[in-house]
Amino acid sequence: MPDRGSPATAGVRWLHGLLLRPEASVVVVSAALIVYFELVNVNFLTDANLETLSQFVAAPVIIACGEIMLLICREIDLSVGQTFALAPFVMGYAQAIGLPAVVAILLAVVVSGLIGLIIGMITIGLSVPSFITTLGMLFLINGATLTISRGFPANMPDGPILTGIMGAWSYAEIVWAVAIVAVMHIVLRHTRWGLHTIAIGGNLVAAAESGIAINRVKIGNFVLTSTLGGFAGLMEAFRVGSADPLAGGSNIMFLGVASGVIGGTAIAGGAGTIIGGLVGGILLGVLQDGFTLQGINAFTFNIIIGAAILIAMIANIHLARWRRGGP
Amino acid sequence: MSDAPQTDAPQAIRAEHIIKTFGSVQALAGVSMQVRRGETLGILGDNGAGKSTLIKILTGYHQPTEGQLFVDGTPVRLGSVDEARSHGIECVYQDLALVNGLSIYHNMFLNRELLWGGPLRLLDHREMRRRAAAALAEIGVNIPSVELEVGALSGGQRQAIAVARAVYSNARILLLDEPLAAMGAREAGLIIDLIDRLKSRGDIAIVMIAHNYAQTLEICDRIMLMQHGEVTFESPAASTSAAELLDIVRREYRAARAG
Repeated sequence: MPDRGSPATAGVRWLHGLLLRPEASVVVVSAALIVYFELVNVNFLTDANLETLSQFVAAPVIIACGEIMLLICREIDLSVGQTFALAPFVMGYAQAIGLPAVVAILLAVVVSGLIGLIIGMITIGLSVPSFITTLGMLFLINGATLTISRGFPANMPDGPILTGIMGAWSYAEIVWAVAIVAVMHIVLRHTRWGLHTIAIGGNLVAAAESGIAINRVKIGNFVLTSTLGGFAGLMEAFRVGSADPLAGGSNIMFLGVASGVIGGTAIAGGAGTIIGGLVGGILLGVLQDGFTLQGINAFTFNIIIGAAILIAMIANIHLARWRRGGP
Repeated sequence: MSDAPQTDAPQAIRAEHIIKTFGSVQALAGVSMQVRRGETLGILGDNGAGKSTLIKILTGYHQPTEGQLFVDGTPVRLGSVDEARSHGIECVYQDLALVNGLSIYHNMFLNRELLWGGPLRLLDHREMRRRAAAALAEIGVNIPSVELEVGALSGGQRQAIAVARAVYSNARILLLDEPLAAMGAREAGLIIDLIDRLKSRGDIAIVMIAHNYAQTLEICDRIMLMQHGEVTFESPAASTSAAELLDIVRREYRAARAG
């Protein structure tokens, strides 16, 4: 092939390689949607709207980073949305007893992580499927949050620098989200932890025979997910300026799981990408934001989001088969 | 490489009067066996004869109720799979312990990953790729790229990867659990060639569980028949035949039925 090295063929090969990546189809769909919304609505690609969009995308993407790790090793956390709501109240409680704001934030993150540890211990130690463990924890944590808050929102601490870093600055959330995505991408692709997570979900027996510390990895991923959930909840509370006992919940958990799944994470485990979770989160955000700008009402919106998830899943499953060269 | 067992080669692993009971069931009723360096021992027998139990004792997965194991002539206690590994004992299980969704090189280094130096402990993908390719080339396994997912490979190729992984991890005693099960003639040929090349290195002792008499006679230096947890027959492969083995098994079967 004489023209093998020419820029044109190199470009084609690069494009081909790109399309072979699991996240590619979602990127294409997201880009098409952005173009569509920009054409039908002049306000779509404006600073104000991008700010709104980034704020909507950030929390589900951060939660997706944890759920993707769990889904890959064949577990799930249904209660992460409740940890999301609890964390700001833990922080508020710590401040109320006189701890400095930074310590209070750290304490809230640690308590979130402990919730993950409890979930992991029950799931692994007592052989309860994580679907059930976290279903129980969902109600338990929700009840705890409502008890601590007595059902009322609470104010967040003042101080421009800390609150700015934690979420009050317009783009703080998306910066955190992208940073967490970058770190978690490296964890999944370039550390033993990530590789072992994939191996556990891909073939549990093989992982055990290779001597991989299955329980440690699984419990670790529960801790990770809860920690990220609590952190995302703190961010959201700082942005809004108050802690809401009804924040997050199952809605944000499902958005996180859906982001991961739309981005190509296999619900049956063994495969997934963090970047896909980011792209999936952006796709969901663009859909919600775009249709809101178009003035579609909330009821219709749920129909659209449901259809979008189904279409994305069907496309992903069949594109994955096509990539493998099967029928 | 001749088929004659190397009687002067040093002993690699020896089991003496191994008894294993699970509750009231006696899986092994006093089995003794030994393999020398460079020698290949084939263990034949029906399901429930105790072959798998014996292999699992040699890999440290089970511990014998009675009896003694020796590695390189030294008495050892293999309390775990890791302990057996530290003595150079590697087992290729029937399920192969491969993860389909991971590449060949990730599978070959599963739980023994190579890392970049430094505090971040990141995976050294490049070095793993290079060494995996070299290890496969060394034992003559031809695979287009070590980046292929294991799920995309044929049964024979998968078996070859599993064997290559065991050999690469410095196995001096290689245990193969039914390496030719459910394999076509061509695929089996690939594995038989691979075992032959390993034998010709002369430093690895191989113990292989099998079902097919003809294939086992072709591959192995020595044959052991097992039934009801006992060794019922043992012979150099060169001085027996599939017909003789079949005859022995048939007689055992009749005797068991009559008794």
